[in-house]
Amino acid sequence: MSNSTGVSARGKGRAGFGSAFPVAYERARRRAGARRAPLNLLLLPLLYVTETFGAINETFHEWWIRQPGWSRWTVYILLIVGGVLLPSEQVASFMSPETDWATLLFFPIGGYVLLAIGLNVVVGQAGLLDLGYVAFFAIGGYTMAVFGTKYGWSFWEILLVGLVLSALSGVVLGAPTLRLRGDYLAIVTLGFGEIVRITANNTEYIGGPNGIGGIPHPPSLSEWAFPDAFPFNLVGLEGVQPLSYGTLSAHSYYYLMLATIVAVIIFAKRLERSRVGRAWAAVREDEDAAELMGVPTFKFKLAAFAIGAAIGGAVGVVYASQAISIIPNNFPFILSATILAAVVMGGSGNIPGVMVGAFLVAWIPERIRFFGEYRVLIFGAVLVALMVFRPEGILPSRQRKAELEEGTGGMGSMGAEVAGPTADAEAGR
Amino acid sequence: MLLEVKDIHVHYGKIAALHGVSLEVDEGEIVTLIGANGAGKTTTLKTISGLRPLSRGKIMFDGADISRVAGHKRVLSGIGQAPEGRGIFPGMTVTENLMMGCYARKGDVSRDLAQVFELFPRLAERKDQAGGTMSGGEQQMLAIGRALMTNPRVLLLDEPSMGLAPKLIQQIFSIIQEINRRGTTVLLVEQNAQQALQVAHRAYVIETGEIVKSAEASALLDDPEVRAAYLGGGADRPVGGSEPEQAAGAPEEPRDG
Repeated sequence: MSNSTGVSARGKGRAGFGSAFPVAYERARRRAGARRAPLNLLLLPLLYVTETFGAINETFHEWWIRQPGWSRWTVYILLIVGGVLLPSEQVASFMSPETDWATLLFFPIGGYVLLAIGLNVVVGQAGLLDLGYVAFFAIGGYTMAVFGTKYGWSFWEILLVGLVLSALSGVVLGAPTLRLRGDYLAIVTLGFGEIVRITANNTEYIGGPNGIGGIPHPPSLSEWAFPDAFPFNLVGLEGVQPLSYGTLSAHSYYYLMLATIVAVIIFAKRLERSRVGRAWAAVREDEDAAELMGVPTFKFKLAAFAIGAAIGGAVGVVYASQAISIIPNNFPFILSATILAAVVMGGSGNIPGVMVGAFLVAWIPERIRFFGEYRVLIFGAVLVALMVFRPEGILPSRQRKAELEEGTGGMGSMGAEVAGPTADAEAGR
Repeated sequence: MLLEVKDIHVHYGKIAALHGVSLEVDEGEIVTLIGANGAGKTTTLKTISGLRPLSRGKIMFDGADISRVAGHKRVLSGIGQAPEGRGIFPGMTVTENLMMGCYARKGDVSRDLAQVFELFPRLAERKDQAGGTMSGGEQQMLAIGRALMTNPRVLLLDEPSMGLAPKLIQQIFSIIQEINRRGTTVLLVEQNAQQALQVAHRAYVIETGEIVKSAEASALLDDPEVRAAYLGGGADRPVGGSEPEQAAGAPEEPRDG
């Protein structure tokens, strides 16, 4: 019977990392073989590289899930330590020679990563195509701005309000629209994103096109600074006050974002492994079948929308607390599209994947600033190349990969239900 | 009566797909609903399981009116369905697919799982394989097995023979009989009328959204009209070739303008 490449590679994966290479070669040859004569020779080496990467990724995943809990936690803690030391001067000199690295790490990089994790709940886990995700980011941002400047609330109070308000707006958007599927839902959400921005643009109370300025910073938690000792002195972080939020202290905002990211990842990961996560997977792969299994599909789709929206709102609050002023044009449609690109390119449904994707779409345009006005063109070319060679994303989840091979499931299917003549309805004519 | 469908009307937009379908399924029966492409078979099943709203009529299950009950709640009361086109979760393994079947109920399910694996040894062999990578026949077995995991009192099967090789069709139908012998009532929708009528106790014929005939399955096997329209009349005419014309030889058949 039919046996997919994914399955056979998985079987071989247990043999060790070495076996990844012949598997990758076989796959690259098969994919190149599908092309015409001169093209296949050109593609073969490139495909070999990407397929090797994919096979190593699968083998690594195979190895990773067999590791005991403590060694995984060691890796998680090392990753967090790496995150703390990331805004170092040495790293900055390579990653961002032209812009302040810590500022860049806060936004766009950190912000995009968190937005991508939030959008991944909606798109990657529940399989709902949302093209207006920026709306929730905007609602979070405006919550911070309004409550901070007009009511004088503190950042931590507003963060809670922002979470609730954006989740609520997710429900308000979802309740009437989640009966639509596929591209119909995409169009409605796209409209919602624009409605929020244009409403902000035309509402005097929140400053219209001029937005809101003078947004307060979060209150400083502590004046404590990194000591002049290992490991901080090695990476040039001594003297940085990670918990004191001033206008010029880019590092502390990055740490605030980092803490939010870690918290959201833990939350999202727990959801993914819960009954909720299973229900989302079922809805994504076949909504009707999910309903037939007793999954209250509408409720779970709404929950995905609300949770995704709350995460987007949290990014908005954190972003606005640093930005001092926000205007409606901070929240354009293109931002929704960029975050969606990050999710799809990184590997929809897989949190490490979408984080890598978000990092790349945030970082590449900054890194190639020296190309001047050509940088967007080059950025676009990189995105196209990535999608040609890794259509399932850079680090796809295995489950999503199987769905894509089947050609069903999630956003890819665009399984819109049309209220019009169908095969069954034909009979009524 | 375990399941009673009373004069249901279903619309897609403004177009009526079903106008007044009534049928009954008694505890322990295999009832089949046969008809051509687009006659309304799948719509009938979807309406019974709650995937489609009805605009008129009533569905009674075990004495209670369930017409307005949400689909996911009907599962708990005992309506299990293997949907059209199988509806396998492609990214989940066979076991995960089966476990989705008991998503909504609590308690120990290992016995049910063992029973499904016993009924379909093929699934036990492939229990860690992704559902989407299996062959059509295996997917059909998985769809039926998954529906059984919901512990249904009535099992709705939507064209289990679709796209399968003749040998596999035989196998699937004998399993359906076995499931029924073990006490599950079955409502079977089929285009493959020959096979369906052989395993069923009673049958309904649906045409353009209406039931046009109902009888003992064995009686329909010998019915000249049914033979001409759905069984190829002994010659190798395609089953249910074209929709309205096929009934032309049967003048008393009700038709709508």
